[in-house]
Amino acid sequence: MTKLISIDPIEARQKSVIVGLEIPVNAYQSTPKQEAQKYGRENLLRMYRDMVAIREFETMLDRIKREGIYHGIAYDHGGPAHLSIGQEAAAVGQSFHLRPDDFIFGSHRSHGEILAKSFSAIAKMGEKELIEVMEGYLGGAPLRVVETFSDGNVQDLAIDFILYGTLAEIFGREHGFNKGMGGSMHAFFAPFGVMPNNAIVGGSADIAVGAALFKRVNRRSGLVIANIGDASMGCGPVWEAMMFASMDQYRTLWDAELGGSPPILFNFMNNFYGMGGQPQGETMGLGMLARVGMGVNPEAMHAERIDGYNPLAVADAIERKRTILEAGHGPVLLDTVTYRFSGHSPSDASAYREKSEIDLWRQQDGLLNYGEYLKENGHADQALLDGFQAHSTERLIKALAAAASTEISPRINAQAESIGGMMFSDRYKDRMAKGEPELLIAKEESRLKQTQAKHRFGLDEQGNPRPKLRAVTYAEALYEAMMHRFYEDPTMIAYGEENRDWGGAFGVYRGLTECLPYHRLFNSPISEGAIVGVAVGYALSGGRVVAELMYCDFMGRAGDEIFNQMAKWQSMSAGILRMPLVLRVSVGSKYGAQHSQDWSAMVAHVPGLKVMFPATAYDAKGMLNLALRGLDPVVFFESQRLYTEPETLVDGGVPIGYYEVEMGEPAVRRSGRDLTIVTIGATLYRALDAAAELWQKHRLSAEVIDIRFLNPLNYDKIITSVKKTGRVALASDACERGSFLHTVASNISQLAFDYLDAPVAVVGARNWITPPAEMEEAFFPQKEWIIDTIHERILPLPAHRASTDQATSAIMRRTRLGI
Amino acid sequence: MATAVVLPKPGNTVESCILVSWKKQVGDQVVAGEALCDIETDKALVEVESTASGSLLALFFEEGEEIAVFTNIAAIGRPGDSFEALRPAVAARGASAEPATPTARPGQESQDLRLGQPGAHHTDIGISPRAKNLAGRQNVAIAGLEGSGPHGRIIERDVLAAMGQQPLMTPVAKRMVAQGGYEAPAQGSGSRGRILAADLTHSASESAASSPQKAGEFEIIPVKGVRKVMARRMLESLHTTAQLTLHSSADAQTLLAYRQRLKASSEAFGLQQVTINDIILFTVSRVLEHHRELNALFKDDVLYRYRHIHLGFAVDTPRGLMAPVIHDAHRLSLRRIAQASRRLATACQEGVITPADMDNGTFTVTNLGNWGIESFTPILNPPQVAILGVGSIDLKPVEVDGEVQFMKRIGLSLTINHQVVDGAPAARFLQALAGGLAEVDLLLAV
Repeated sequence: MTKLISIDPIEARQKSVIVGLEIPVNAYQSTPKQEAQKYGRENLLRMYRDMVAIREFETMLDRIKREGIYHGIAYDHGGPAHLSIGQEAAAVGQSFHLRPDDFIFGSHRSHGEILAKSFSAIAKMGEKELIEVMEGYLGGAPLRVVETFSDGNVQDLAIDFILYGTLAEIFGREHGFNKGMGGSMHAFFAPFGVMPNNAIVGGSADIAVGAALFKRVNRRSGLVIANIGDASMGCGPVWEAMMFASMDQYRTLWDAELGGSPPILFNFMNNFYGMGGQPQGETMGLGMLARVGMGVNPEAMHAERIDGYNPLAVADAIERKRTILEAGHGPVLLDTVTYRFSGHSPSDASAYREKSEIDLWRQQDGLLNYGEYLKENGHADQALLDGFQAHSTERLIKALAAAASTEISPRINAQAESIGGMMFSDRYKDRMAKGEPELLIAKEESRLKQTQAKHRFGLDEQGNPRPKLRAVTYAEALYEAMMHRFYEDPTMIAYGEENRDWGGAFGVYRGLTECLPYHRLFNSPISEGAIVGVAVGYALSGGRVVAELMYCDFMGRAGDEIFNQMAKWQSMSAGILRMPLVLRVSVGSKYGAQHSQDWSAMVAHVPGLKVMFPATAYDAKGMLNLALRGLDPVVFFESQRLYTEPETLVDGGVPIGYYEVEMGEPAVRRSGRDLTIVTIGATLYRALDAAAELWQKHRLSAEVIDIRFLNPLNYDKIITSVKKTGRVALASDACERGSFLHTVASNISQLAFDYLDAPVAVVGARNWITPPAEMEEAFFPQKEWIIDTIHERILPLPAHRASTDQATSAIMRRTRLGI
Repeated sequence: MATAVVLPKPGNTVESCILVSWKKQVGDQVVAGEALCDIETDKALVEVESTASGSLLALFFEEGEEIAVFTNIAAIGRPGDSFEALRPAVAARGASAEPATPTARPGQESQDLRLGQPGAHHTDIGISPRAKNLAGRQNVAIAGLEGSGPHGRIIERDVLAAMGQQPLMTPVAKRMVAQGGYEAPAQGSGSRGRILAADLTHSASESAASSPQKAGEFEIIPVKGVRKVMARRMLESLHTTAQLTLHSSADAQTLLAYRQRLKASSEAFGLQQVTINDIILFTVSRVLEHHRELNALFKDDVLYRYRHIHLGFAVDTPRGLMAPVIHDAHRLSLRRIAQASRRLATACQEGVITPADMDNGTFTVTNLGNWGIESFTPILNPPQVAILGVGSIDLKPVEVDGEVQFMKRIGLSLTINHQVVDGAPAARFLQALAGGLAEVDLLLAV
């Protein structure tokens, strides 16, 4: 979808073959002498020290989980502990060359990576910088605890700080790195480049791509590694992440001076098991995982299998791949062999593998091997190695004693709504970073000239509709909001399918292409999971992003990214991360069963998302403005029925200038006294038609309220209205069963029960597939359905003949049949 | 054919009376004009005279029952005459009557009662919460309603329709129903079927809900008669007026000295029994003449300022607080005021005060000084716009010629209806009253 690159049919039809690249396997070659020269004794010993620290940390957790005691300190840990005993060399080797500004994202089995990356950062940072980081974290609260037991220099303090902060997080304590809200599987410490670890298999893949994209677009230094397991290669979003990371456009269409492809390294920690399934030989057919690189791009992702039992082989690979990534030639794939001795979790009886297999690997134990290597080459004697072990144990005993104590390390008070306070920041920010936004033309030369010259209200002085081309539409109102923020916030990017040139499938972005360089507005692969996941990574790295899913129905493809990532990272980080991410979702019609669904209830159900659904052009702009200035994740629903509609309900129409709609406030679209009709989305207009007919034929005065916001939602206006009228029907185009309207209805029943003159009635779409466009009237709520529902369930209308079956008997029959 | 004796309406505001005692018994011969029974109104004890002559055939009520005015209370005729038709409907009875069971149909009572949930009336009739609330507020009997909602549910409009047809109801009765605990009959015993407070019956649900957990923890005292009227009027007073109370005190030395002199005076003057309160009543009657804005009644947005001063004063009786009125007090000498107050107080105590002696007050004085109350906030007696509370006489520090001396002063608390009386005129009245009391000996000469 770009005019800049044409597809040559001659070339496309030319006979040829694809020649595969050779993928190096365990190709590391060096000599102890070269290694001694390259790293020096001190660094070689430090790697050993770090490996021992990780081994002991995981062993300690294993004891705590299995025996409830470690060196006399008893503790009962109720949460998970996915241990990486055996994988120390892979973690330490990887981190050796990484700088503090390099990011690693991990998995549920990432304690070792947290420690290794942090130890590496501590070794590279100055004392002053380390003190600043520790003092600044959670107001210095964890540091205050560590100071009570740590002795030694600042680096020792920082190491104890990392051990304690990680452990306190694993134990769910307030002084944990995320106040205990993340726990073992989500712990992270961003100041050292340790980014969120993810309990969803492969969950870090697309998020890490988003972080790499953030670095590339905003010209930040550092590379990004996604540490994911070998079994995650079976996850669609991991593949999508690789597709997103390997798009040609970074090198063909984006400004060359940006530096090419995002600096992302997919590191598959290959411990040969996905929980109990065995990808090699059982659950997948790759043979060697590194092979996948050949399927992704002509450079085969510079893939290699490397020996994760040798820290120096891993360090070497990272150093070489850094050059590739910094040159903009990513992505890179590493298949790091790193067998785990520990089970999937302490409850794992290892029924899926022979003990003999474990014994074979134990004979190759990276930690022991490396110790032997140090001794053989004169870097250490056994006493020195034993000293590292003893010192590690000593440190851990102190950190564990402090983290296990509920006096020293209390939990947050979960009864006092403190978790509620972490769900949203409710903060707003015009720009996520300083600097001039990169733009191609001045705002005055943009399509705003045309939209601003149009009538701002859809009706003329006599109240007759103006021609739609002459008045600002809902789609254009959205465009104006996007324009405003693009010209304010240099970090803001937008992407999705058909976003550039086409201007989005529904033309909302028409006119943006001319204004924005490629890296601020681009087309993505048809990878809905990655579209959202990349946005999550971009936002939590500090950038503002608008991702688009062309149809609401495609949310199913991005389920994990919306429900588990976008929704949860603010609160799982205890508010340390922000999520200035707006996910635009278009609700369709006329396109059948897989393109016409309103799934707003699904996202409203998941805690952590703000959910908006404007129904008029005024709200489209004012609500998108609000969403785009906020720091919380918003799922922003739009209606394809409304894109071409100008404002006809709000006096004065769509303001030319900037404005915001108040968060969570429904809009009363018509006032009345006999009956309240509450709507979400485009159903508003059918409800207004129903209200008009109720007045004309039955002299019933209906109040119509468009809730606009699903979450957060202030019920004041709704309840005030229902107390007045005593009768309420709710309508939206979502299928009736499980519709968000039922949540609203239930709340109304509880908040205004004594005022009700009839049960609260919900009018939704039928619980069917959406039929062809010509038959949609049988599926979506119509004016008549609303009136008939009122007649059947709320207030029988004299002389009214119902044309549809809205009686309560229909509810019984349909629910029994499940339709 | 027997004739009914109807309970008369012994005062304008009287809705119901308590039957205190029968003076005749069934079988007695009575003559028209002869006393038949004593009844107690909210204000007084009244004798009911027979309106017919003949043999007393039936007494429809028992002593202690509360009866709505205009209700048949007795039947007189020739022995053997039928009188059942004259017996009033059960609903005319007061609180002691059995609760009506309007939903019960013959032969089904026991079953219905068994099925009924405690506290839930009419469970077999669908009614919306809104309609139910409205019916409760407006005293519309749900049982008689036809529901027009889905599945015959009674909805708001059905109650609204019934309100257009329902019998008239006195405001008090309406309020009692609204406040809960009472149900009204379809037809009242008032004129044109108006439902009076006395027509109401305690609703079963209410009494069930408020039933004592353990018997014997408290005693049940039905609030009726004077007490009931008081209860209502006190609340009404606070609900319907804007009360503001000003506190002051007056030099009581002259007052006390003068009272001593009266006490010690010759019996021939008839002044020995003049009380401090009499002197205050006298002083009020004289000072009030010059502050007529406080000697007024406020009714229906009209203020009636009176030239005549009809001075009410509070009397504590076993039945409750009463406020007999000394008519034209401004024309009476101290001695006459003292005589009138003594006579009225005694009548109140004995329960023989007549309605005439209770009506038409234009200003009220209430005195708690005897109990050592220094000041308080008297509650207005609407439509009057002011009430004076008299407190105790206490030693108070006063600066005299640069020195602090302790002098006896009497507490004065004036409550006004700020809707129509402003603070300044009220303060001026209090100031003048304090002056009058301080020099009451001079005032007596005026």
